[in-house]
Amino acid sequence: MSPRRLTRSEWWVGASLFIGYVMILVWTSSDLAMSRDESFYAQAAEYYGRWLAKLFSDPSFALTQASIDDAWRYNWEHPAWMKLMFAWSWLAHETLGLFSSASLAIRFPGMVTAGLLLWLIFAWGTVVLGARGALFASLAFATMPRVFYHAHLAAFDVAIAFLVTLTAYTYWRSLTDRRWAPLVGLAFGLALATKHNSWMLPAIFAIHYAWVRAQDARHARSLRPSMWWLPAMLGLGPIVFFATWPWVWFDSWNRIGAYVRFHLQHVHYTYEYFGVSYFEPPLPVSVPFVMTLFTVPITVVALAIIGLASRRRELAPNWRPGPDGSQDTRVEVLWLGCLLAPLVAIALPSTPIFGGTKHWITAYPFLALWSGRGLISLIGNTGNLANALPGLRRVVFFCLCLAPGVTQAAHSHPFGLSHYGPVAGGTPGAADLGMNRQFWGFTTGSLASWLTERLPQGGSVWTGDTTWGAWKMMQADGLLPDNIVPARSMAQADLILVHHEAHFREVDYQAWVSSGSPQPVHVLTYDGVPIISVYENP
Amino acid sequence: MAEAISKSAVVRWARLAIVAIALFELISPWVITTSVPTEAGWREATAFVRSNFEPGDRIAATPQWISPLVRAELGDLLTLRTASEDDLPGASRLWEVSTRGSSSSAAKPAVEAQFGGIQVRRWPLSTDELVFDFVEYVADAEVTWVDGEHSHPCAWRDAPPAGGGLGRGPMAPPGRFVCDRRKPWLWVGATVMADLDLLPRRCVWQHPAGTDPVRTRFEQVPLGDTLVVEGALDYNNDRREGRSPVLLRVFIDGHLAGELRHRDRTGWTRVEVDTSRFSGSTREVWFETTTPDPAARTFCWSASARNHRGQR
Repeated sequence: MSPRRLTRSEWWVGASLFIGYVMILVWTSSDLAMSRDESFYAQAAEYYGRWLAKLFSDPSFALTQASIDDAWRYNWEHPAWMKLMFAWSWLAHETLGLFSSASLAIRFPGMVTAGLLLWLIFAWGTVVLGARGALFASLAFATMPRVFYHAHLAAFDVAIAFLVTLTAYTYWRSLTDRRWAPLVGLAFGLALATKHNSWMLPAIFAIHYAWVRAQDARHARSLRPSMWWLPAMLGLGPIVFFATWPWVWFDSWNRIGAYVRFHLQHVHYTYEYFGVSYFEPPLPVSVPFVMTLFTVPITVVALAIIGLASRRRELAPNWRPGPDGSQDTRVEVLWLGCLLAPLVAIALPSTPIFGGTKHWITAYPFLALWSGRGLISLIGNTGNLANALPGLRRVVFFCLCLAPGVTQAAHSHPFGLSHYGPVAGGTPGAADLGMNRQFWGFTTGSLASWLTERLPQGGSVWTGDTTWGAWKMMQADGLLPDNIVPARSMAQADLILVHHEAHFREVDYQAWVSSGSPQPVHVLTYDGVPIISVYENP
Repeated sequence: MAEAISKSAVVRWARLAIVAIALFELISPWVITTSVPTEAGWREATAFVRSNFEPGDRIAATPQWISPLVRAELGDLLTLRTASEDDLPGASRLWEVSTRGSSSSAAKPAVEAQFGGIQVRRWPLSTDELVFDFVEYVADAEVTWVDGEHSHPCAWRDAPPAGGGLGRGPMAPPGRFVCDRRKPWLWVGATVMADLDLLPRRCVWQHPAGTDPVRTRFEQVPLGDTLVVEGALDYNNDRREGRSPVLLRVFIDGHLAGELRHRDRTGWTRVEVDTSRFSGSTREVWFETTTPDPAARTFCWSASARNHRGQR
């Protein structure tokens, strides 16, 4: 039995979520300076964009190995799909002036994927949970503070969350309608071409499919679910991956091998967790779970737990048959797998230390869907009014459950990576506990006006964790004047920036020696917690 | 029927729980943000410390993460030594500026005041009497680097500070002894190093060059009853295992008086040398660093001549 189709009004709600979220992201983007990784991808977008332009003007030259290597060698460690999107958007800005700034142009495709993900969560949720639960799930995801931060960026994290969710959705549809199988392959290919989080999808689907088959056998169902998703993923997926990444068109095996090795043997990003700076694995197994509790609105987490509890019989290991047929259970087991797999992968002791919550962000659309399930188990939906609250109370309850996320997301901006929820005691509580304060150096954007005021005649700044590319982008965006330049040497800079992370204390002490004093001339704070100290050389 | 009633009750309780959680989440950020000390609170608290500050006082911040805020307000009352971690030799009183109800001591303070979410406390101290701080007087020392049969003097240079950046180790200070220009790490001078616990240590960088010593010699040093010697590698190297130990040997009037052997992952290490027989006299003291393999032996030491007193 195929899932029901969305009604026209449901399509409009989904489209409104998409448009509304993208508009909010565009509106608030200028508050955020480019992060470290974004600055590399922005540079890549410019290189790739020039190659794309060459592809149209002189295709025979553009397709030579020399030309491809010249353009695509930069940032070879990440596949190309999103960077191609950034490049197209940057080209559109350069030629048509579509955006107010270059950084917004480069970020726009990432914002679009965030909007599309809300739409997808709503659409999938609607056919499984009904519109009310789906709307809650979509908004709950949108207002997770760290999701809200990452949704702004020219990076891969929200994009891979969208493509993982899309691949899971198309896989689920393909079980009952084999016409969806090519779309599974296409979505998986784009996921492969975006980030390596996608590598775990075949395993999740294989386990899920084995369970579906076992269930069908137990109930003696004659109609077997389609298996066309598997050849589509294995066939079409790699083709899309290959076709969208010119770097691997030459010396393919070596370059793909280098890409895979880069991530399997990834350098470890130092991560502070409960007062300990972890320089090498293993991170404690609890990291993704505790960080989820600390950074996702706890109301959403609690609703997801209620959602899971409400379906505990169907999800129990013996997988007893539910009275409502197989469809809901099938999708919920899939949602559970997609929720747990990224968390477990990061929790494994053998996993490199990647750092922040973004590395398991692919779990959060499914966490949101489970919270939608939890919500409707408490307020009921249109198909099951037995436990439904009366109309107004239902609306109030819905809004009350959403309000913590909305207020936290608003308050977290533009310090999204420093924000912690009330379970951690907020950002000051997290500082007491010794949790990671920030990374990527983007908080320098919040200092731009102070720096401009401090150096009215211009000067030089040792930029700490902020890359020179991010600095240049701030200047291009008009946040900083051109005469305030990054300094190569800490000692020769007028001002020294120290981004507060535990393992950056070394840099703090270097600044003491350079300036001859332990006294910063300014400290940028968020909720009273130091984010950046600024020192002045004599 | 009974199951339906029971299920309905569970749902009601679950709704109540969710309402309670949501209200907690809505109210607690307001509580958190309103408890953040105000600028006026900082001004008043630091004005109070400043107006009562006396030479020999030390200032501490707790919790540790407010240290940048305290240093921004009161940093002019601190030196690189007093801002660094030590056992407060020579200090007569300790000021503590704290937030969030935190305190480093359960002892009753002599002075306690509250300024808009900031607590100021002061305790009298009875720490060791500081007779001579070798780190602060390293510029007056003579540094030599022994290379086989030859002993090379290391020349004092006034040069811009050098280094800086994550994983780069301590900053080379503006004044330092330079032993070999071909070996940019072979210098001796007072800097601030992050130890294995990432705490700041005011110390003399004296990277060993091998089995032949790098030597820092002080003449006419007034001694007390104890010589406290501490040292470690910079955290970047101390947290890794498998490299050579570093030996710091202390000589008084040419005789070996004590030694500190540092192995990886042992952090900031302390030895005390009994100098009671020299107490009140001036002596020649030198410090030698050696190691079987000098690769990544980013060693830094501090030493002070003291007279013992009771601790706080």
